[in-house]
Amino acid sequence: MIFYLALPCWTVALVVFQNVLADVLFSGWLVIEASLVVVICAGFRLDIVRGLILAFVTGFVFDCLTGSVTGLFTLLYMMIFLLTFFVSERLVTEKLYIIAFFSLICACLETVFLILFYQWVYGINLAGSLPSVFFPQVLIVCFLSVGFFHAMHRIEEVIYGKSMQSPQRTGTL
Amino acid sequence: MFFKNYRIVIFVCALFFAALIVLSYHFRQDAGAGLAKKMVLEAAAPLQYVLSSAIGAVGKSWDRYVHLVGLQEENDRLRRTVENLKSELVQYREDHLEAERLRQHLALQHQYDFKFLAARVIGREQAALSKTVIINKGSAHGLKLGMPVVAPAGLIGRLTDVSWHTSKVLLIIDESSNVDVLVQRTRVQSILRGAGPRGCTLKYVSKIQDVKEGDIVVSSGMSTVFPKGFLIGVVSRVDRQEVGLFANIRVTPFADFSKLEEVMVLEGERTEIPKGKTKKQ
Repeated sequence: MIFYLALPCWTVALVVFQNVLADVLFSGWLVIEASLVVVICAGFRLDIVRGLILAFVTGFVFDCLTGSVTGLFTLLYMMIFLLTFFVSERLVTEKLYIIAFFSLICACLETVFLILFYQWVYGINLAGSLPSVFFPQVLIVCFLSVGFFHAMHRIEEVIYGKSMQSPQRTGTL
Repeated sequence: MFFKNYRIVIFVCALFFAALIVLSYHFRQDAGAGLAKKMVLEAAAPLQYVLSSAIGAVGKSWDRYVHLVGLQEENDRLRRTVENLKSELVQYREDHLEAERLRQHLALQHQYDFKFLAARVIGREQAALSKTVIINKGSAHGLKLGMPVVAPAGLIGRLTDVSWHTSKVLLIIDESSNVDVLVQRTRVQSILRGAGPRGCTLKYVSKIQDVKEGDIVVSSGMSTVFPKGFLIGVVSRVDRQEVGLFANIRVTPFADFSKLEEVMVLEGERTEIPKGKTKKQ
């Protein structure tokens, strides 16, 4: 219950923080999508109900606070969560280069989805922004995920003495 | 039973359906998610304000720090400039004082109809045994042994050693210095002998002769060394003791020997007298 009560607050705090940080560091030119990294992490760590709710809330808050099409990132984050959730049964998150590679793929998929969506719905071609905006953002997500997962491992080791990822899901049983 | 077996699938589908509704609502109303969006914005506003203020404050502090670093550099640069300007000012002040002194020397040349040669004091020896100064002119400049040396304040001594480019001046306060002088007011003639740090004393002045404190002492011109009429000093103390024939008279020279920087060596009488001037007797 605490999870569901704290989730909106933490999500709002996370999205606000990443927006302010991006505004300070890049003057709004790039988005530091830490929320995507959290969703990917949730795909590896949480069960489907909690994770999907987290993805829904995070996407919705992101939609509300960034001025994008409301519901777009909600849908995207849920899809990314489901993808991560199903992949997580085959991946070992202790190997950070795998996490980095997987985050890269997720960020690329998100970018492709966004470009296709805007092309299809509004007829706007965002492909021109690929090298200057989307590519740096994908790299940021990639590096962020490595740091985030590393930090999660450390925290879990300190608190629980081992990683929280279940052996059934990682296949290490 | 069906719902129990597929509840996860139903839950996932319901959430996706909700997301699609939100998306379609956006396109239909073109005003976002209404109440839910407003709530999120309201909840985010204070946090956004606090975070923006905090980061803004950090940014300002950083800017201030960078500015301070710049200020430090500018301060150092200005400090160096001030030091340079100070030394320049000291140099200008020194030049000004030198110009003043030289002007006085020039006035001395106009005052007396003698041929003077200006010289700079390059060394001084005012130890217990002798009171002399070294000047930067010598025989190469026409100086000869025994020439009188004066300063704007008055007579200061004579040349006792002359080399090619430097000369030694025996000051009138040296114990071995003797100058034939007159008390200006009463024309009492006497010998002025150096007394070291105490100045000079007048020798062989009878106790009954009229000499009192404040009398000006000038060169008498009786000897061949010092011309007549050069200021020397002022009588500062007259002591007429009961025993002895002569009064004990102390004379304080006009010139401050500890501050001599430039002096004039009297080479001889000027052959051409400037226009509008008469030769002083």
